[in-house]
This record gives sequence, structure tokens and C-alpha cells, in this order.
Amino acid sequence: MTRRVPRLAPLLPWLLAMFSLVMAPMASSQSLSVQPPKIAGTVSSEDWEAYRSRFVEDSGRVVDTANGNISHSEGQGYGLLLALAASDRRSFEQIWSFTFTELLIRDDGLAVWKWDPGAKPRVTDRNNATDGDLLIAYALAKAGEVWQEPRYTTAAQKLAKAIGKNTFGRSNRSLILLPGAHGFGAGDRPDGPVVNLSYWVFEAFPVMAALAPEYEWNRIWRDGVMLLQQATSGRVRLPADWLSLQSGLQPKPADGFPPEFGYNSLRIPLYLLRAGMTDLEWLRALKQRWSAENEGVAVVNVVTGQIRERLMDQGYAILPAALACVLEGTPVPAALRTFEPSLYYPSTLYLLAKSLLGEKYPQCVSSAAP
Amino acid sequence: MRLVGSAITTAILILGFAAIAQQTGPGGSQPPAGSPQSEAPPANGSQPQVDESALRYFASQGDTRRVNAEIARLRALYPNWNPPSDLSQLSAGAAAPPPDPIIERLWNLYREDRIAEVRAAIAERQASDANWKPPEELVTALETVEARRRLVNASDSGQWQTVLSVATESPGLLTCTNVDVLWRVAEAFARTDQPTRTRDVYTYLLMNCANPAERLATLQKALTLLPEQQVTDLLQFERKTGETPDDFGSIRDELARRRVERASLDSKTTASAEDLAAVERLIRNTNEAGPVLILGWYNYHHGNPARALELFKTALDRNGAAKAAEGYAMSLRALERLNDAEAFAYEWRERAPENMKIYLDIATALLSQDPAPRLDSQVVARIVPVVTTQRFSDGAQALGWYSYNTQQIRTARDWFRTALGWKPESEPSAYGLALSTQRLNERAAFNAVVAQWRGRSERIADLADGTNPGSRRQSAPAQPRAEVDVAPPAPSRPAAPRQMTVERVEIEQPLVRTETAARQRQSEARSVLGRSCAMTANPAGLSGDAALTRAWCLMEINRPLEAVAAFDRAISTGSGRAREEAAYGKSLAYLRKNLTSEAAIAAAEAPQTRSRQVELGASILTQRALAAYRDKRYVETLLALSERARLVPEQNDLLLIRGWSYFNLGRYKDAEQVFRAVQRTGHSEEASIGLNAVLEVTDQVSQ
Repeated sequence: MTRRVPRLAPLLPWLLAMFSLVMAPMASSQSLSVQPPKIAGTVSSEDWEAYRSRFVEDSGRVVDTANGNISHSEGQGYGLLLALAASDRRSFEQIWSFTFTELLIRDDGLAVWKWDPGAKPRVTDRNNATDGDLLIAYALAKAGEVWQEPRYTTAAQKLAKAIGKNTFGRSNRSLILLPGAHGFGAGDRPDGPVVNLSYWVFEAFPVMAALAPEYEWNRIWRDGVMLLQQATSGRVRLPADWLSLQSGLQPKPADGFPPEFGYNSLRIPLYLLRAGMTDLEWLRALKQRWSAENEGVAVVNVVTGQIRERLMDQGYAILPAALACVLEGTPVPAALRTFEPSLYYPSTLYLLAKSLLGEKYPQCVSSAAP
Repeated sequence: MRLVGSAITTAILILGFAAIAQQTGPGGSQPPAGSPQSEAPPANGSQPQVDESALRYFASQGDTRRVNAEIARLRALYPNWNPPSDLSQLSAGAAAPPPDPIIERLWNLYREDRIAEVRAAIAERQASDANWKPPEELVTALETVEARRRLVNASDSGQWQTVLSVATESPGLLTCTNVDVLWRVAEAFARTDQPTRTRDVYTYLLMNCANPAERLATLQKALTLLPEQQVTDLLQFERKTGETPDDFGSIRDELARRRVERASLDSKTTASAEDLAAVERLIRNTNEAGPVLILGWYNYHHGNPARALELFKTALDRNGAAKAAEGYAMSLRALERLNDAEAFAYEWRERAPENMKIYLDIATALLSQDPAPRLDSQVVARIVPVVTTQRFSDGAQALGWYSYNTQQIRTARDWFRTALGWKPESEPSAYGLALSTQRLNERAAFNAVVAQWRGRSERIADLADGTNPGSRRQSAPAQPRAEVDVAPPAPSRPAAPRQMTVERVEIEQPLVRTETAARQRQSEARSVLGRSCAMTANPAGLSGDAALTRAWCLMEINRPLEAVAAFDRAISTGSGRAREEAAYGKSLAYLRKNLTSEAAIAAAEAPQTRSRQVELGASILTQRALAAYRDKRYVETLLALSERARLVPEQNDLLLIRGWSYFNLGRYKDAEQVFRAVQRTGHSEEASIGLNAVLEVTDQVSQ
């Protein structure tokens, strides 16, 4: 396999790492040379205020407005990350207070994932969701560093160790991230292990590696990239949200889930871009599908290629725009530059994308751009 | 993990001790934030849990205005509350700096339980003023509240390790102000297999915390988590004197109830008089069936069925339902009131499997009495279908003896055979079958039973050797009495419309006679194969003769549809003779299931001898006629009967069917003719009833 000469100089370290990774996939001394985003100060206070006033309660609970107003560990993680991005220490502390007292109660140190204001007890599923744990730990670590707050760093480290201890799994020679501590492993279901590629929050792994170096974050990261390549090598070139890795076969859609590239997986390109992993060939294919072929972001059946639902919200529309900006320098259309919050999830994606563009690709969103 | 676990345990106990000792110690000047003042000595039990942390802070700041405002607020909330006496000491030592307006706001938020907002406001203030620090009391209070929330949430979600680790990290929580927390910690110990630690927590609580309602609730929790002996040990902490003495009577009663409950099912264990009195008290003081049932069973199993009967009656009145009914029926039986027991149990039999079982047992006991009882025909008639649908072998056997002792030998024989079919290893059923076949002089059937049982049953062997004449009754001779219809399930009988007499027709069904020829074959096959034909299901692969033997054996144990499969195998693989016999057997099998069309087709599958053709044809047509009659299809009944009459002469029972068919079709003249023909063969009550019915109708018509 050959790679193109890198066009963007700042990404050279990552590309070199990627290059050696591809050339020698078994190299174990691979270091994570990606520069994670700075985050703090990359979301404007107006945008954040629009988000916070809609989705964050005084108790520090981030509300999933499209999902029965429940809360989950993912939402708390995003809330912390965006509060940090907006440099809102007050809200960060508020969201953390809720996360700490209501969700971080599992015996293994992970967060219970689901909290329903209408239920008693409020925790309606005590399993964890590994992406939520990663997001929380990542936000805490970054905030601890930026605000010099040891409480955050200590909590981040505890959580990072718990993630390493309880959610790493094996599939043949790959090290994988199980979506939850229970129910997804090889012994837990006939088509197990089952993974969700959108749970690989790539930008978080170097930070986790610094907090809990006794776990192989590096391999999780590397094997995740390989899994993504395998899962996108089919005709449709899109991964299903939930993938079965049973007995070393090609990844295939997991039983009991629709075989769809859906709301989960559409985060994958955003995570790749935020982690600076912009040279993956798949991103070009995805850009082609989303922009050049005018399909836009959609829920797609990964077997038939059929579109089930086109996603029109601003928070989804900004994903192809961000991809076009990063890969080709295309300015983000004016209509996408002003935040118009609607529901929790697309609004979150929007701010995460805008935070990335503002930090690393200001030319695509600067007022000078057409 | 074990080491860590026990380390936590040790830590929590030491810290728990420390925290409690702190409250109860003589000094008591520095109680942890939020703990009530009056902990030692435990006097004012009704003392609410008043959070004085804000008050103490304002006092320490020398802020008299806020201290007074807070005292007024707390008094409004808790009328019985008195401010702590050490406030003046706190304020005396304070330098009284100018009050910071944010502090009051933070305490206000804290009091409103808006913890996240307190945290947020502190963070916000620190972001703008890196040197600013919140008051230590507030930080402690916040940490305590957060720890309590996490502990409660973890306990609600069954995260017991988290409960224990939070408690270890926040020993300030383990105080009598947080009895709920102490309970949750105790439960966490129990759920992690450390019941001794659970007991320790309860012990500390009972030694140190004053609220009598909470003390009682502690014992109630102990009842659900600890072995009874440990609960009993905790009772020693009951406070019998003082302003608010304990009353652990309900706990003692519950322990007594449990002891009586255990003894109630075990006749070897006796309960103490005190325990029994406690249960009697529970019965008087509540409207529940539970304690009544316990005492009922206790009396039942300890030789007092009369008292048990009274108690189960009370339990029934208290909606004790199926369980009470079971006890009531069993008590009646124990009192040898079998007729009452049967009638009662019959009503309740569908309520639960236990009720069905007790009904079957009682019905069996009723039928098996010695000497044979005179039973209401209705009683026997309702026992039969229950025994049949439940396939209750002992009941079938009891019906066999009842029939035998009431001189219904053929019926007895069929019941014994049925009983054996349901429970092939039952020697008494086999003995009954041997006795009845001997009485009926059915040599082949008798020999088959003997062949199978000679080695296992001395009395059956004796029957064959003539040392025990078969004519002897099983029990003391009974007076001949009116026959009661106790026909066994197969052959089934039609439900005749409006005339009881027709039921009698089927007692000796034609098919039974037809099958006699096959019986010998069956018995032989059965003695060759023993039980094995019932064990294996698939006849494929058997030779023609083997399949035939298997088929007859299955017929013998009354599994006709499985026999059909085996006969089919014999038809497809056997010799000419085997095929003929198999086709014949298959027809019989279908006839047993009342599948007359299938029987007719099977009969045609291989050429039959003339006599068998006649026999099968007649049987098939008989069943068709009866089936049609049962379904009130009288025209078809007459067609089948006429066809049958071309093969064999029509016997009286079928003539009666013919007569009633005419009657039901309104052909009264024809009906009258038939009934008169029957009457000419000798006196027939059924024919007379038929004639009367015809006369009645025609009289009415002519009027």
C-alpha cells in the first residue's frame, strides 16, 4: 500500500506515524504522536450559552431532548468537553457534580450510562457505555490541566484505569474497546464480541495513555484504525453502527441491530478529524459520497446501500462541510456558520465540529472566507 | 480483592466507631457537621435531624444578624428544636471580619439542596479570584452531602462495593443523623457476604442512636438480612426505661411466628407455648390469613385436625384461598369425613395443582374404603372424568376396586388396565387385572398378566397356581347393590340428549367385544417386550414382525396413535399375513381414537378374512352411528345403523339408539315400533322409557 505525499505540513508527525503503522502493523512500540486538540477557548460564549440554556439543567444534568429527556454518560461527557471548550468553569463544575454523584457509582469505577428523571431509582441501566466513560475522563483530564485542578485530574485517572481494566477485549490478535463492561464480549452473545467504532474517541487515547500507562491504549487506537479499514472495505464503504467480530471473520453487522450506518457512526469522521487523523483514505470516499454525489449525511443500509433517512439538521450538515474544509480547504457555507440549536445530539455535533474548525482550520470559517 | 475488601471492612468499622464515639463521648464539643446536639445521652428520641452547619458557620464568623435569622428559620421548621449551647463560645473566639455576601448565597443554595450550583458558584468565584477559598465548614458539608448522594445512588443500584468505599472515605456520614446511611452500609455488608459486619453496624446503631422508630426499623431490617439467632441477640439492646422506651414486641412476635412456621410442617418439631401464644395473638390482632394458616398447619401436623379445620375455615374467611382450601380438605380427610372432604375438594380442584392433587387423593381414599362404601352415583360420576383427564393411576386403580367390589367386573378389568397403562409398574393394578380377568374367565388376558408378573408378585403367582381363588373379593363381601356407571375412559361414550338410558348402552360398547380378539395378541406382545415398547418411539428400521409386535404392545398400553405408526411399518415391510394383521390392528387403533374414516381406510389396506371384514366393518359402523348420535345427526345415525345391520344383527343397545334417533327426528311411529321390538326380547326399562316418551309426545300432539 502506498500513501500520498502529505499536503498539510502540520500533520506530518501523524502521517509518519500512520505510515509506519501501516508498514509494520505489529510494531508494539508505536507511540501516539497525534497532537490532540487544545479544546479550551474554541467555542464562543454565545454558542455555548445557546447550548447550555437548552440542554443543561441547574443540577448539572445534560438532557437528551430527543430521547425522553433522559441523561446519559455520553451527554455528560460532551457537556463537560463543551463547557471546557467555552472556558466555562462554572458549568463544568456543575455538570461534573451531577456526573460524579449520580453516575459514577459503579463498583468497577465506571459510570452507569442511563439516568431517567421519570424512573425510580433514576438509574435505569447500570451498565456502562464506554464512549461516555472515555469522554468524561478525557474532559476531566484536559480541564485538570487547563485549570490546574487536581480534583479533576485525580478523577480522570481513576476513570482511565477503570476503562483500561474493564472494557478492553480481544478479538483474535486485535485489542478492542467493548461498548460496555457487560454483554458484548465473546462469551456474552453468540455473535460476540460486538463493537461500535464510534466509541473510539481517538483524540482521547493519548491522554488516557498518559493517565493509565499500564494499559495498551496505543494498540486500541491502532487496532481500531485497522477495524475501521476492514469494516469500510465493502461495496457500500460504510461501517454498520454495531459490528460483530465473531471468530476473526470480516466484521459484519451484529445481530439484533439494523445493518445501518446511522446516528452512531456518523460521528466517526468527526472524531478522526478532531484527532488529526485526516489522511485515512476512507475519509475521501466519505467526502465523495457526502458532498460530490450530493447524498448528504444519511442513515444508510450498509448491505444494500439504500438510504433510509436523510439527516438535514445543521448539526449533521456541518459534518460534510468540515470534511470538505479539512481535505480540500473548502470554506464552510455561510448558512452553517451561525449556531441554531435544535435537539441535543446534532447541536452537540455542531459545536464539536465548530470547535475543531475554529481551532485548526480558521480559514474555513473566518469572515474573510467567501 | 479479598484483602482490599477486608481492609475496607476494618476501616469502616473503626471509623464508624470513631464517628459514633465522637458523638457520644463526654466532650461532644465538636460534633461533625449536621449531627444533632442531643445524641448523648440518647434522650429526646423524637429529635428531628436538624442541619446546623450554616448556623455554626455564621456563629464562628460572629455574624449575629445571620445567626439570629438562621435560629428563627430553624425554629420555624422544627418547633421542638433548641439552638446549641456552644454557639456563644464559637462566636466569642471569632474576630468577626466583614461578612462576604457570596457566603450567605452559598449557604442558601446548600440549604435548598442545590449542591451542583454551590459547586458551580465556588468554581466561578475561584476562577475570578484564585486566592479565594470557601469556608471549610461549607466544603465539609458539601462533601458529606455528595458522599451521601453517591452512597444512596450506589445502594439503589446494588453497587455495594461503592457503598462501602464511599462510607470508608466519608466516615462523617456514619452518624445517628444518617441512620438511613448506616442501614445501607449494613445492607452492603450483607450483600457482600459479611453478615457479621452487618450485625456490628446494627449493634452500634442500637447502642448509640436514640430515635425509637429508627431503632425498631433497624430490627425490621435485621430480620430481612440476618440469621434469626443474630436478630435474637440484637433484642438485648431494647431500652425498657427512659423517656422513650423501645417496644420490640413485634420483632419477638415475628421470630415466634417463624419458629412456629418451621414447626408447622414438621411433626417432630414442637413450638413452645409462648411462641404458639404469640401466633394466636397475631391472629387476633390482624385480619390476615398468614398466621392462621401457620397455626392451622401446625395443628394439622401435630395431631389436632379438629382445631386445624377451624383454623383453615378462618383462613378461608380471610381470603386464604387455595392454600387454606388445601388445609381444610386435608383436615376433613384426617377427621375421616371423606364424603365432606370429597365434596369440598371437588369445588376447589382447579384452583392450584396442590388442590387438584388433594382432590385426587381424597377421591382415591373415598373409593378405597373398606368395606366398600355406598356412594352417591353423582359422586362417582364426577370422580371419573377428573381421574381420566389427570391420568391419575391410583385413582383408576381405586375405581377398579370399587367396580370390582360392586360386582362390575368388566368395568373393573378396564380400570385396572387403564391404571397399568398410566403406571406400568403398579403391582396392585396388575393384581386387580389378574383377579378380574380370572373372574371373567378371560384366559389369555389372565395368562398375559401372570406371565408378566409371576416373578415379581407372589399373590399373582398364587392366583395362577390356584392357591388363591380369584372369586374371592379383594375386601370383605359387600352387598350387591345398584350398579353405578363407572365406565373407564376408553371407549368414550356419547352424551345422549334428554335420555339417561342411552348412557347405559355404552357401558358394554361393541368395540370392547371386537377388541377381545386383539387383546390376546396385545398381551402376548406386551409380555415379549415388557415396558420397552413404551420407551422407544420410532418404529422405522424394525422388521415387519417386530413392528407388529411393537404395535400390539403399544395397543396394550393404550397408545393407539403410536401403534398406528408401528402398524404402518408392518404394512410396508411385512409378509402377506403380517400386512393383513397390521391393517386390522391399525383399524382397531383408529377405532380406539374414534377415527372411523381412518379406520375404514386402514381396513382396506390389506385383504382381510371374511370374518375380520365383518368384524371391522361392524365396529366402524357402530362407532360412526354413535358418533353421529352424539352429535345429534340422527339421519346419519340411522344410515350407519342400517348399513351395519346388513353385516350383523342389530343388538338391543343399538336398537335403542335407532329408536331414540327416530324419536328425535319426529318419526314417532317408527320409534314406537323399535321400542316395542326391544321390549319383546324381554323386559327393558329403557324401552319402556322410550315408549312412554313416544306416548307422551303423541298424546300432546293429538290433543
